[in-house]
Amino acid sequence: MRPSGDHERPHGAAAAMAGSVTALPITVRRLSKAYGAVSVLDEIDLDVRPGEFLTLLGPSGSGKTTLLMAIAGFLRPDQGSIRFGEREVVRLAPHKREIGMVFQNYALFPHMDVARNVGFPLRLRRVAATEIARRVEAAMETVQLGGFGSRRIDQLSGGQRQRVALARAIVFEPRIILMDEPLSALDKQLRERMQIELRQLHERLGTTTVYVTHDQREALTMSDRIAVLNRGRIARIDTPRAIYDEPGSRFVAEFIGESSFIRAEVAGGVCRAAGSIIHARQLPVSGGRCTMVLRPERLHLLAAGEGEGMNCFEARVTGVIYQGDTLLVQAVLGDGSPVALRLATRGGAAAAPLVGAPVRIGLAVEDTVLLADESGEAP
Amino acid sequence: MPRQPIVKSTTALALVMGLLSAAPALAQELTVVSFGGSYQEGQSKALFQPAAKALGIKIKEETYSSIADLRLKVKAGAVTWDVVASGSGSAARAGSEGILEKLDYKVIDTSSFLPGTAQDYCVGGDVFSTVLAWNTKTYGDKGPQSWADFWDVKKFPGKRSYRKGVAGALEPALMADGVPADKVYKVLSQPGGIERAIKKIRELKPHIAVWWSSGAQHAQLMKDGEVDMITGWNGRFDVAAKDGAKVAYTFNQGLADYDCFAIPKGAPNKDLAMKFLAEISKPQYQAEFTKYITYGPTNKKAYEGGAIDAAYAKTLPSHPDNAAKQLPIDLDWYIKFEAQASAAYQNMLTE
Amino acid sequence: MSAESVAAAAGPDGDFHKAALRRDQWRERLGLAGLAAPALLLVIVAMLIPMAWLFGLSFRDDAGALSLEHYRRMLAEPSYGRTFRTTFEISLATTIICILIGYPLAYFLSQLPRRAANLCMIAVLLPFWTSLLVRTYAWLVLLQRSGLVNTWGIKLGLWNEPLQLVHNAGGTLIGMVHIMLPFLVLPLYGTMRAIDGNLLRAASSLGSTPVHGFWTVFFPLSLPGLAAGASLVFVLCLGFYVTPAMLGGGKVTMVSNRIANDIELFFNWGAASALGVVLLAITLVVLVLAAKLSRGAGLFGSGH
Repeated sequence: MRPSGDHERPHGAAAAMAGSVTALPITVRRLSKAYGAVSVLDEIDLDVRPGEFLTLLGPSGSGKTTLLMAIAGFLRPDQGSIRFGEREVVRLAPHKREIGMVFQNYALFPHMDVARNVGFPLRLRRVAATEIARRVEAAMETVQLGGFGSRRIDQLSGGQRQRVALARAIVFEPRIILMDEPLSALDKQLRERMQIELRQLHERLGTTTVYVTHDQREALTMSDRIAVLNRGRIARIDTPRAIYDEPGSRFVAEFIGESSFIRAEVAGGVCRAAGSIIHARQLPVSGGRCTMVLRPERLHLLAAGEGEGMNCFEARVTGVIYQGDTLLVQAVLGDGSPVALRLATRGGAAAAPLVGAPVRIGLAVEDTVLLADESGEAP
Repeated sequence: MPRQPIVKSTTALALVMGLLSAAPALAQELTVVSFGGSYQEGQSKALFQPAAKALGIKIKEETYSSIADLRLKVKAGAVTWDVVASGSGSAARAGSEGILEKLDYKVIDTSSFLPGTAQDYCVGGDVFSTVLAWNTKTYGDKGPQSWADFWDVKKFPGKRSYRKGVAGALEPALMADGVPADKVYKVLSQPGGIERAIKKIRELKPHIAVWWSSGAQHAQLMKDGEVDMITGWNGRFDVAAKDGAKVAYTFNQGLADYDCFAIPKGAPNKDLAMKFLAEISKPQYQAEFTKYITYGPTNKKAYEGGAIDAAYAKTLPSHPDNAAKQLPIDLDWYIKFEAQASAAYQNMLTE
Repeated sequence: MSAESVAAAAGPDGDFHKAALRRDQWRERLGLAGLAAPALLLVIVAMLIPMAWLFGLSFRDDAGALSLEHYRRMLAEPSYGRTFRTTFEISLATTIICILIGYPLAYFLSQLPRRAANLCMIAVLLPFWTSLLVRTYAWLVLLQRSGLVNTWGIKLGLWNEPLQLVHNAGGTLIGMVHIMLPFLVLPLYGTMRAIDGNLLRAASSLGSTPVHGFWTVFFPLSLPGLAAGASLVFVLCLGFYVTPAMLGGGKVTMVSNRIANDIELFFNWGAASALGVVLLAITLVVLVLAAKLSRGAGLFGSGH
């Protein structure tokens, strides 16, 4: 039962850990899957570059997990092509795809100890026992669990289980790693630490990685690129920075980062919103009605005389919430649209405004994002 | 069941009497136990209820499964039963064990009883016979007529069924082995006698398809045509034949046995129970009972005076013509040897 | 909490209600124990006392004196040993056949969507709703000489003479397997349902074929359910009475049949109790051995 495809690669954990394994690109073309009348994947095209960390981000039901399962081979699509490098795999059984996979609930084998879990893929590949022991230990070191080999799975904490699952997924040096919300079961602090560890591990291994999450912060933290999915389609695919700064659509802007949206109107090359003239790097080409995106941390509370060269709004404070690292100020603009501002709380920062007080809010021109209204979307 | 209305009225009667008995000392009450089923129903209608009416008492009926139940009650000193119906062998052993009252034959008149059917502890109620029966579809009218035929698998090929318990199992084997009926118990009492019978049964074992363990079962086996030849109780076969089973039997070399009534040691109403036994031992009661099942009276007078139809009488096991062909079961032999014989029989069965 | 305990806790204690709170805790524990009391009482009255009584009876002879008579008889007569052997052979065979049929059945059910599985489960459990006697009798009607199977077999020319399908060990096994199957399938199905499907996906992604994944992951994880079901079936078989009595044709004498026979013969619970005590003892030994063995074989841990 030896799966084909791994003979030509150099063995040895050290080599793998040094990232000498050639990374494979993944090419998805016109991939579709429907359950009855409900389309979960709608002619998806996706290119994952060799060695890239790509995150599939989207709300539940957006198709991100379905897409991952199709790549892993656990879900048979209705049509389309999936290629790993040059090889067409869309009809290949999952055990022949040579993929390292990490599951949401870890999927560790409860009847085996840690070393047997991690050694599982190596035993399948008939690797010699001493070689297995060496590579298992190396993988365990990589995930910072050296010496845990003889532990039972139920003796491990959530974070440790996550690392074992990771070690098991990388020990056989797959050229593609898939992760299905691997951190969602961890508490917030551990999750944030693991995000950074995973990212560092990826940088060392250089393996093509597809990562599924519904947590936009996680996606921003870890990814080379993010593909935002909505209703079975890819709404946007780009670097975290580009997506955050130029969401391109209201859906993406809503889903990534916090935002307030206000109505804007472009007429004769001039844009107005909430009674102010708005300057932006780029105005929507089509003109007419559009939406302005206000990121809370990009808004400034202006003192008298400030605001030169900024887009400015008159507003009234409706609430102030102290959140430790930031101060969240809620306000309404002149036209009644609610907005939120996030202010730094470090020493020397401006004193918190009083509820009911009139304030002036500023937004730098380069931070100003205007979205053309999508056809069919209600204002 | 053409007698259905009677059943209903007697149940109603029993119910009313049961209610009345809640009030103490209105009338004396006897508790009678038997084996239930159609057998006890017949007893109730032919014996218990009419006798109760005649004596002006009330009867409470219960059912039980074996003398072991009574043994427990007596040992525990909690006897609530006044009269128990029993097989003759069980009663004889229970009597020798001391859990039954000795019967007073000055009260119970057994002068016209068949010989041997009134023991110290138990008075006979009906006579039945363990007979050789056969499937008339297999053998037609020329069925086997003796135990030798039962053992003759060349002349009568076909599947046999034999009793799983030892009671009534050794006697036919000896007769088949050429022992005359009147010498059977003599041979069985001699050393090696039991083994001789068992050896003969072992010979037939490959042809025995089913070892039956209850009367209901052996009747069903014949009804279903599962076997071609069988031993069993005559009354059951008559009932099966009436239901359409292709079965016939012969009294020839049958083993005559009887059911009887006894009084447990320490029965609450011993004297009344004695009077009750005297009443139901009268010929008119026994004659009435034959209407429910083809078991014969122990009281020979029951055959007199036309209480039993003459043609019907000839089909009963205790009719003189039939009685002459049969070997009466020897209870003394069973008291002495049954445990030993049973052990040997079980060893043969499990070989 | 009752009104007076509230009052007591509110009393003028100098130690912050320490004593009163402790009292409350005791009362609560007593209350909980009280909840268990009816069940405990039932177990004692309905099970332990009769068992102890039977145990005592088995050491008394007919006269009521202490005696090993009943045990001595069991050693002296070869039929008792054979009866025990038959009992264990039939029980073991029933258990093995139940596993061979029940494991794939439970596996199939566990892989179905829940709604379909529930429907199928009803079919598996259907026999539970009819009486044991009726089910056993149904087999008799089907398998006997003039039964449905033989009638059709001969009509279709599959065989010429009626086959002996019942009144033997084979017929007994058929009946017992039919009755016992749900007892195996139920716990096994529950265990299989609880096995995380991702484990098999994980195995598959790591390179194992479906067959290999089944044997290295699914099967080891289903063993606790299999062990529970199999020991349940085995132990229930040991005490079986009706089916061997009706379908065995008197050739399959199990211990419970022998107990009935001995009660009839000796009028006496002692002999029967002794059989019961020995069966219980052997059963316990077998179960303990089985538990030891399965732990030794490494139900958990070594696999592969």
